Amino acid sequence: MKSRKRIKLFLQGFVMVNVLWYIMAVIVDLHVLPTPIDVYFNLGGLYDNRLHIHILASLYRVMSGVGISLILGVSIGLLMAYSKTWNRILNPLVYFTYPVPKTALLPVVMLLFGLADASKIILIVLIVVFQVIIAVRDAVLNISPETYDPIRSLGASRLQIFRHITLPAIMPELLTNLRLSIGTALSILFFAEGYGTQLGIGYYILDAWTRIDYLGMYAGIIAISLFGFVLFVLIDILEEALCKWKA
Amino acid sequence: MLNIENLSVSYKSNRNNVHALGPITMKIESGDIIAILGPSGCGKSTFLHVLSGIIKDYAGQAVLNDARLNPKIHNIGFIPQNFGLLPWRSVEKNCLLSLKIKGKPYTEDVKKRVDYIINKLNIAELMDRYPRELSGGQKQRAAIARAFIMNPDLLLMDEPFSALDALTREEAQELFISLWNQYKPTTVFVTHSIEEAIYMGKKIVIMSNTPGTIAEIIENPLFNTENLRQNEEFLKLSSHIRNMIKEGWKHEIKEEN
Repeated sequence: MKSRKRIKLFLQGFVMVNVLWYIMAVIVDLHVLPTPIDVYFNLGGLYDNRLHIHILASLYRVMSGVGISLILGVSIGLLMAYSKTWNRILNPLVYFTYPVPKTALLPVVMLLFGLADASKIILIVLIVVFQVIIAVRDAVLNISPETYDPIRSLGASRLQIFRHITLPAIMPELLTNLRLSIGTALSILFFAEGYGTQLGIGYYILDAWTRIDYLGMYAGIIAISLFGFVLFVLIDILEEALCKWKA
Repeated sequence: MLNIENLSVSYKSNRNNVHALGPITMKIESGDIIAILGPSGCGKSTFLHVLSGIIKDYAGQAVLNDARLNPKIHNIGFIPQNFGLLPWRSVEKNCLLSLKIKGKPYTEDVKKRVDYIINKLNIAELMDRYPRELSGGQKQRAAIARAFIMNPDLLLMDEPFSALDALTREEAQELFISLWNQYKPTTVFVTHSIEEAIYMGKKIVIMSNTPGTIAEIIENPLFNTENLRQNEEFLKLSSHIRNMIKEGWKHEIKEEN
């Protein structure tokens, strides 16, 4: 029932976007904006262009970036929620660095960590980790104290309390945050892949652009969109499995 | 037996030491059911929180069956006002939570007990539902099931029926008492309803206003009486209690007006 609803939503959106695109392409009537039909017919040639290798390269960077951000962010967020001392120490740092546009640090990160994958992953982590920290800390602090009462009257250990109360209670917010993080990571990825690499969908799009291969460029855009969409669906599935109680 | 000696609780609020409860001294025999009747803010919830191990910072002693009260040693069933079901666990998993936390095996005997209680409380069909899919009365029954399933040494309830509408409440009270009569766990419950105290309490403890101390303990002759609400004695006793506590609660009534 639910997945059918989701497929319907996807198809509706897909049709709407493509109709709009088509109308725009017809009105503008320029070489730089081909109709979706032209682009889709060209998709067949992408395998020869080794698009899948670019996708894998991007996937690796996004997954590592988001993965590391989650591990770091959840740990630090929990630390800040549980320990007043750590919250006092780390809060100014988080507060101060949160609004700094960290994409501006790309040159610094590349100078320090080289041109390879590491600098791209680090940039993603730098940006995503702060929102994870804040979301986790606030989610834990927002659990109302009486939620813990029945389990504490059972003499539960700290680990049991974490496993049965804290973790499930913050899970919905954690997943929402994962969703936001992946969206953010994809945008950063596109930006970061413009430099010092010959792999990744971001590179693929920019490369096609400079070669005036507009059909290829649009194919790349479609690929990165589908890529993001698949990740979103995966989170939907995760959400349904872990937060069934909420729906 | 639960032996409470000079139990008192203070907490810090804005650097002031607020004396919230006690000192309270009382003995509760095993298999007793005690109603604690008091105005709001008299510390009766605090008292339950101490007995349930949620408040660990208290002065005095609470000894249950020769060991200092400790939720890690004793089986304490606690039903808070909002029933305390975890929203992310199905009714079944909520009911079995205590077994899981205590690391008790799910043996045939336990399963029989669980099945019996679940059927008695008429929640067998609700086992796969989540708490948000339940009515107030259903949540209440699930919470009672959870507490009885763990075979508690001490059962604590904080205004257990106050969130229910009048008809559901009477049904739930009857169901609870009939289940209680079968297992007779030592029980302390807090209420602000005189009627509920008379209907469900073998002894009725009347507390005075802040800081809560025991004003009076009444042996309730009407406990386990059928058709209590039509009983003439019931009206006498409730008006007696009402008169008795009027003085002590006057302060609060003034505040409410």
